[in-house]
Amino acid sequence: MSAVLLIEDDDRIRLSLAMALEDEGYETHAVATAEEGLELQRRQPADAVLVDLMLPGMDGFECIRQLRRTDDVPVIVVSARDDTHDIVAGLEAGADDYVVKPVAVKELAARLRALRRRGRAASAGPSMTVLTFGDLEIRPEAGEVRLHGEPVAVTRTEFRLLCELAEHPGQVLSRQQLLSRVWEYEIGDERLVDVHVGRLRHKIEDSAGKPRHLVTVRGLGYKLQP
Amino acid sequence: MRRAGLRTRVSAAFAIGALALSAGVTFVSYELISNTLFRERERAAVRATYFDAAAINAGLTGPNPDVRELLQSLDFGADRYVLLEFQGEWYSRSAGPAASDFVPEALQEMAASGEAGAQRIRRGREASLVVAVPVQGSAVFYEIVSLGELERTLQLLALVLTAVAIMVSAGGAAVGWYVTRHALRPLAAVAEAASGIADGDLDTRLDPDAEPDLARLTASFNHMADELSRRLRRDRRFAADVSHELRSPLQTLAAAVSVLNRRRDSLDERSAAAVGLIADEVARFQALVDDLLELARSDQPVHLEDADIGLLAARVLNTRNLPAELIEVEPGTEVDWHVDRRRVEQALGNLVDNAIRYGGGPVAVRIGPGFLEVDDAGPGVPDEARATIFDRFVRGPAANARGGGDGTGLGLAIVAEHAAAHGGTVSLADRPGGGARFRIDLPTR
Repeated sequence: MSAVLLIEDDDRIRLSLAMALEDEGYETHAVATAEEGLELQRRQPADAVLVDLMLPGMDGFECIRQLRRTDDVPVIVVSARDDTHDIVAGLEAGADDYVVKPVAVKELAARLRALRRRGRAASAGPSMTVLTFGDLEIRPEAGEVRLHGEPVAVTRTEFRLLCELAEHPGQVLSRQQLLSRVWEYEIGDERLVDVHVGRLRHKIEDSAGKPRHLVTVRGLGYKLQP
Repeated sequence: MRRAGLRTRVSAAFAIGALALSAGVTFVSYELISNTLFRERERAAVRATYFDAAAINAGLTGPNPDVRELLQSLDFGADRYVLLEFQGEWYSRSAGPAASDFVPEALQEMAASGEAGAQRIRRGREASLVVAVPVQGSAVFYEIVSLGELERTLQLLALVLTAVAIMVSAGGAAVGWYVTRHALRPLAAVAEAASGIADGDLDTRLDPDAEPDLARLTASFNHMADELSRRLRRDRRFAADVSHELRSPLQTLAAAVSVLNRRRDSLDERSAAAVGLIADEVARFQALVDDLLELARSDQPVHLEDADIGLLAARVLNTRNLPAELIEVEPGTEVDWHVDRRRVEQALGNLVDNAIRYGGGPVAVRIGPGFLEVDDAGPGVPDEARATIFDRFVRGPAANARGGGDGTGLGLAIVAEHAAAHGGTVSLADRPGGGARFRIDLPTR
């Protein structure tokens, strides 16, 4: 049984979502503030975090940033706000996925399962493949990324995205292809891909503004090259 | 009739003003010149007549002077004609026409009473001047002077003055045209700013220092733009707030209903039916909130990007469990469109949903250059429903109430809004062979 941390200030939503998630087979730790959530995650780490953006005190964005400092736990934003600005800001803060309220519990469970599969894929298998793109090295089985020989800390979603691109060197993958392979979305928000690519570039490029490895092919998608 | 433009009206006013002015000046100067010239001519004629009369007077000596001989001896130009009334007889130099016919009665009487006089007459087509000078005895000497040459001169003068008047009014019109062009130039800046705001650039303002004479216009224009953007921002914030306030309770409902639904088997029949109803209504309420918010935000600018319209249509059908074979691409159609992918996908999806709900299911999704068409197998849309079918909360009779039953009544309104946001249109026609054909036309580049 895997544990989920739910940070939601609305009592009724917190209560009903916690019940529904428990029905889906998750052990749910539900708290009302970001501060409590961070504290609980330190003491009793959950396998995934669901966080609202509008919280009293510390807001959801800051909460995600603080989580990310120490933890690569998958984070899904569950927010009633659906304008582009909030979605992009939430993802840029470090969230792996974004769903807009009201979300069906089945859908939320599917998102959580997809995130867990991503986690497993990054740490399974004994053989050690090394994919090299110039000064960038990716070891899919070890879950490692090295730039100039130095390890780079990436989240699980960023790592899955990088592996997906690395397994098709020089080949252009469309945003929809990446969405279905990394996030397991049939149709999804392409901003997810764009923001994650942006975050990855900050980590694996010498200059994120002028990417050398992870390049955009206009109108088509992204590809990874040496 | 369309009202003439400001420039035309100002130019016409300038032209009319110039015409009135120049016509007045022309008329006054013509009158002055012609009066002066006539007076000069008359004075000269009278002087000559007195001179000749003196010679006649000197010649009329003796009881029976040879009047005809006397007249012959005088030296006259071609444009002068002389008559002498002597002892009741009329004498002239040549046989000519009956001389006395020209001389007005009034002048004859005046001369008979011993007074000299002059009068303008019209002899044939020519203006002439008759001067009468009484000479000795009861004789009167008449001279008839042709004024034809003077008249021709005045005609020429009138012609020249008329031409000048016309040119001056044309010049007035030209000045009016030119002046209005300059006067209207600052308004072009206003027009540009207004169309900028209409295109969604709410930060466009006029520079209040650019044209001091238009300071009031500039100030009220900027005030209007401020008000407009404030209201738009308020509306958007309202939509966002409504969104939040409606979505949060919906989230509780959705989660709680799913908890209940899971335990449906342990509920009694009536409770289970009630839970089913609540679950359906929560789903419908959610769809309604999504559609309403979509409409509330539909005036926001489109986010254009490259999209493969074929893949997009396939995805729309795939998510509705419809076969991709329904898609027909017209030969030679470019499928890489530059559109707002999300909106086009939603618009096409709504048309397909509409076909499922009211049209017995789609029979074809056609992609052509700049258009998308969805054909259905229903009975078509009755004429009386066509005018309002793209309005909000208008629903057709559900032909095939599959799935969630009635729609939100907003689907086609959203299609129309998305098409309009792209600068395109949505239309409805009859499919050859029955059924309705909905069509979206979009600029694809």
